[in-house]
Amino acid sequence: MNAQTLKNRLGSLNYGQILLYALIAWFIIAFLIIPNLNVYYEIFFKNGNFSLDAVEKLLSSKRAMNSLKNSFVLAVSLMITVNVVGITLVLLTEYFQIKGAKILKLGFFTTLLYHGVVVASSYKFAYGENGLVTNVLASLFPAMDREWFHGYWAVLFVMTFACTSNHILFLGNAIRKIDFQTVEAARGMGAGAFYILWRVVLPVLKPTIFALTILTFLTGLGAMSAPLILGGTEFQTIAPMILTFSKSTTSKDLAALLALVLGLATIILLTIMIRFEKRGNYMSVSKVKSALEKQKINNKIANIAVHILGYVLFLIYVTPVALIVLFSFTDAKSIATSTITLSSFTLENYSLLFTSMSALRPYLVSVVYAAAASAGVVALALFASRIIHKFKNSKLAMAMEYALLIPWILPSTLIAIGLIITFNVPRLIVGNAVLTGTHWIIILGYIIIHIPFTMRMVKASFFSLDNNLGVVLD
Amino acid sequence: MALVKAMQFSLTIYSQSMVSALITFKDIQIHFGSFHAIRNFNLEIREGEFFTFLGPSGCGKTTILRTLAGFISPSGGSICLKDKDITNVPIEKRGIGMVFQNYALFPTMTVFENIAFGMKVKKAAKSEIDAEVRDIARKVDLKEEQLFKKVSELSGGQQQRVAIARSLVLKPSILALDEPLSNLDAKLRVQLRNELKELQKQFGITTIYVTHDQEEALTLSDRIAVFNNGNLEQVGTPYDIYNHSQTEFVCNFIGDINRIDPELIASSPLRAFVSPGKVAYIRNEKVNLAPIEGEDVVRLAARIVDREYYGLYSKYVLELPGGSRMKTIEKENGQVGFAVGEETDVYIRLADIMQYDRTERGH
Repeated sequence: MNAQTLKNRLGSLNYGQILLYALIAWFIIAFLIIPNLNVYYEIFFKNGNFSLDAVEKLLSSKRAMNSLKNSFVLAVSLMITVNVVGITLVLLTEYFQIKGAKILKLGFFTTLLYHGVVVASSYKFAYGENGLVTNVLASLFPAMDREWFHGYWAVLFVMTFACTSNHILFLGNAIRKIDFQTVEAARGMGAGAFYILWRVVLPVLKPTIFALTILTFLTGLGAMSAPLILGGTEFQTIAPMILTFSKSTTSKDLAALLALVLGLATIILLTIMIRFEKRGNYMSVSKVKSALEKQKINNKIANIAVHILGYVLFLIYVTPVALIVLFSFTDAKSIATSTITLSSFTLENYSLLFTSMSALRPYLVSVVYAAAASAGVVALALFASRIIHKFKNSKLAMAMEYALLIPWILPSTLIAIGLIITFNVPRLIVGNAVLTGTHWIIILGYIIIHIPFTMRMVKASFFSLDNNLGVVLD
Repeated sequence: MALVKAMQFSLTIYSQSMVSALITFKDIQIHFGSFHAIRNFNLEIREGEFFTFLGPSGCGKTTILRTLAGFISPSGGSICLKDKDITNVPIEKRGIGMVFQNYALFPTMTVFENIAFGMKVKKAAKSEIDAEVRDIARKVDLKEEQLFKKVSELSGGQQQRVAIARSLVLKPSILALDEPLSNLDAKLRVQLRNELKELQKQFGITTIYVTHDQEEALTLSDRIAVFNNGNLEQVGTPYDIYNHSQTEFVCNFIGDINRIDPELIASSPLRAFVSPGKVAYIRNEKVNLAPIEGEDVVRLAARIVDREYYGLYSKYVLELPGGSRMKTIEKENGQVGFAVGEETDVYIRLADIMQYDRTERGH
């Protein structure tokens, strides 16, 4: 777009539109740029002077350094375990002929329904001190420690099974797109099911697996709920540590620095991922693909072993959810002791939810926050996309687009820290208000985190609209 | 005339019985669930033949090919390779090289790795693989430097050669090709068709080719089997299939054809030749605008109602007595052809008329 056409387009704007554009520019500057820059300021400037105090503080804090180490250990371990389990799940549901694959799939899909705190708690429900699995194990091995389920292994176990959603979605999709004729061609040349899997199918999935590996690494690095609930004192990781540090005024800089380390790791890995994606995407050479047919495992023993594996995984996935559902129908005593008798079944929990305001309130609050944040993010993304589309190819629009993608690059912990430490004092840009500790900052946080995804969706629909139609709508 | 035909027929029978069958399909039945896709399929294919399965989509031609290759197990009947029953022999032991519709090349491998795949599966020695792959690549005209390119970097023609080399390197006794040209543009299709024919001649391998394209079938094949609804309509040489279509379906499916209006038959000398209750057809190019000689030539009055000029030839639409229409094709010889509205005579040789019982369902 040349300067003249840009001028023409700017000239066609009315006052309402100018106000709207100014609002979006304000939002970007106030909530996306300033807080994130402020993180660096907080870390490296003390009383207006450059200082490396925070770095020294971090290096000398055994607890903080340990949490950093733990987070990296967790992230690296998850890269391996999540891939092993995730790829297995996808092969079981999409590639091999498994009896009852549809039911297995339902079980493996449970991680799409609930995550974060709920997953970690549900696993604690099954494997914790009074959990059903612990009870069964204790009856078999009376000498065992009932508080066995905590620390690194517990976190790794829960996160391994909880973080396979992306594999189910993206790897499942990628495997369905494989050209089945290549599988048949390999079969025709005498290759067995596992040889084909190793030499023909998995290499095609390599870019997807690589991207998923990086996403898994980042999830591990920024893990919050599982280490908080199951990590115990011996396995503390960065994200909960940042939360703790950010609460005290003297450690805010440490929290910010830890968040920055997270942010840097994220940016580096995402850069590698994008590079790799550009280089290693295998374009199928076929004009028409034929749909993947599930492969029968001809070796009887291997077939039985794969079936057993499938159903064991199913049990691991379903047990925590099933227990939550089951115990939601029992009284407090049953829940506390994980013992169920016929008399302990009750609908009281459900009736309480709908009759007592104190029980319903958390749900209402969640719904209200979610609704407010959704409305905000959709409105913002709509207007911003309209501007980007209208002034496409102009530097202004590009800068705006990149600014709105900031939350995609930075981990949410870093964004949260940026908001907290920026708005805990009166700031002119928000009318000298203190936002930290108010409802507003929570809604803002929700909005900011959901901007990139919403933007992508809205922008995609804008670009599919006819340009002239856009002019008419103006 | 009848005598000549009878002699031709007996000669065909004689020559067929002289060459022994390489592949024999006997009473093949194929079910997909409750759907009976193929019933009592019988066919013999000879050694060294370029044999084509021709038919519209869903007619069962690919099903039979895949059954031969071993991807589908028939619910009844048998397939024999020479004298050996291969109905239940695993795919890789049948000695059939398959080239898929989209070539099914492995996108993550180089050309060399693609061609070597089957030999690696069979655990051949590295030196043997290297020598064989290079040898077959040379034969199918793939250059040395192309061997180490990714298959996605090759043109459509080169990809076809890789797919064929990948099959031939395993020294199959039969090469099965499932509509390999169907997804290409018209020009490339003709080019690759010629390459394919050259390769088949060079290797002399029995080739089974599946297509829905009658032009491909006519130009490539030694013999053609025309499929319809899971049944064989006719097996024969391209000449026979085109000029002596045995069923109304075949005559409709192959080439452009005129169905002669029954009223025209009734009101013209054609009635003496076309049996009552039969439907009669004549190929477009057999409707002559230039006079032809012979005892069995019928002359009809006509008027040109449309003309399409193609350079090499023109297509005319003619109106005949009673208002029925016919199409014809005339080679352009540099002189001005017929103009629209012009009255002329058309000449039809009775032997060129193909007639079928009304009960038969055409295409």
